[in-house]
Amino acid sequence: MSAPPVDRKGWANQLIDGIGGRTTTWADVAPPRLPSPAAVLVEASYDAMPAIVAHVRDGSELLVVAAARMDPELRQELSEAGFHLVDPDGGITPPTVPRASEVGRLWLLTSGSTGRPKRVGHSLDSLTTVTGQLPPRRWLCPYSPGTYAWWQVVTLGLEVPGQDVVFVDTAAGDAWVEAAARHAVTAVSGTPTFWRHALMTHGAGLGRLSLEQVTLGGEPVDQAVLDQLREVFPAARVSWIYASSEVGAAVVVHDGRAGFPEEWLGRATPGRPTLDIEHGELVITSPHHGHGLGGPLRTGDAAVVQGGRVLLVGRIDSDEINVGGAKVSASAVREVLLAHPDVAWAHVRGRKAPLVGTMVVARVVLRTRSTDPAEAARLTHWCRERLPEHGVPRRVTLLNEIPVKETLKSDV
Amino acid sequence: MSVVPREQLRVLMAEVMEAQGKSLPPDDEADLQQIGFRSLDFSELALRVEDEIDEELNFEAAGLRQVTTVGHVLDLLTEIQQA
Repeated sequence: MSAPPVDRKGWANQLIDGIGGRTTTWADVAPPRLPSPAAVLVEASYDAMPAIVAHVRDGSELLVVAAARMDPELRQELSEAGFHLVDPDGGITPPTVPRASEVGRLWLLTSGSTGRPKRVGHSLDSLTTVTGQLPPRRWLCPYSPGTYAWWQVVTLGLEVPGQDVVFVDTAAGDAWVEAAARHAVTAVSGTPTFWRHALMTHGAGLGRLSLEQVTLGGEPVDQAVLDQLREVFPAARVSWIYASSEVGAAVVVHDGRAGFPEEWLGRATPGRPTLDIEHGELVITSPHHGHGLGGPLRTGDAAVVQGGRVLLVGRIDSDEINVGGAKVSASAVREVLLAHPDVAWAHVRGRKAPLVGTMVVARVVLRTRSTDPAEAARLTHWCRERLPEHGVPRRVTLLNEIPVKETLKSDV
Repeated sequence: MSVVPREQLRVLMAEVMEAQGKSLPPDDEADLQQIGFRSLDFSELALRVEDEIDEELNFEAAGLRQVTTVGHVLDLLTEIQQA
């Protein structure tokens, strides 16, 4: 792999800090002198642009990550993997295990649904999935810096002329709508939860944004949210995308319907991903896959064919609970509950919920067999001290005995 | 189908907030963002209502609407129980 060519097709596109108002173009960004490999921590998406331009100019090995995602364990992992840690204030911590830099390499961190976040190797080429001509658009990018979806919007801005990007960060909350209106955004990409929240907060008033393109990704997409978006944005194309760090962007659907056409299965088109279902699981062979991940990849997502459409209905492994785009391991939550000295048995699952799609709920049997609601509140408090916010069971049901199925096994 | 009346919804909403170390102001006009009532809190409240009435709420029945105040939440949940 070699350094990417410096002159990118989107070099003149505008980059805008949606809340702060700073504006520049790729060509005008002054690249910092970065060590390589570098893990660059940023407080805001817009602040990552200099590091990207540095990568474009000299091919330096780069991983971008939101400072909020970093914990001491991740710092140690990255340091031991040879990365210089570049903090938002510019401070640089050299790696504990130095290694040679790999020219042109970009790294993404997965969400770490059932364990620690994994690093997946990419390059600008493998992250760039849109290269053709598009009508001029101004995109809103609300994704967390360094994630696959974020890179999709960034590479669109870098590689396709006429694609400006307005960055907003999660901390901005609902302020993104005002920012989008102020900066005349015409295309917005977000998770279904992002959209459900926006629809609920603003209702039909969201339609004041003159959007030509509405995109959803990162979570299962249901028909209801697609219908509501079409109602609010009648002039926009509403699309959903199935993508991941491992397989890249694999499915893009523009017809406003959930799922994708069954006839896409098994279709081999040069330069495009091939989709299959094996034992109920979506399997993808993708030209956009991460480094070292070629060939058919099992996605872990359950797929069913219904009415000529392939619907993605959830994870094969029910251990993963998707709470508004944040992935939670049911077994990790269960471990926390079982670590409580009064808990004899616990079952954790996802439960359908408005806005966030699924919430973590638990059934618990206490050693005392008490079903006092105050005990449930104490367990919630216990979890809150040990789990991220989205992993805390919001409903804890206390049972007075452990449920046993016909198989004499407990449903955990 | 049983229904959780509006005043009881307010009690449930207060419980959700108290569990988060926050309090629910008495004013229906209170802004959700300002009082820190977020997506996870709204979802938990909906689950509490579902548990009370032993039935899944159909949010599609509510259509598109703006929900930015305490009163909006109580009105929405009251309405979709009756849908």
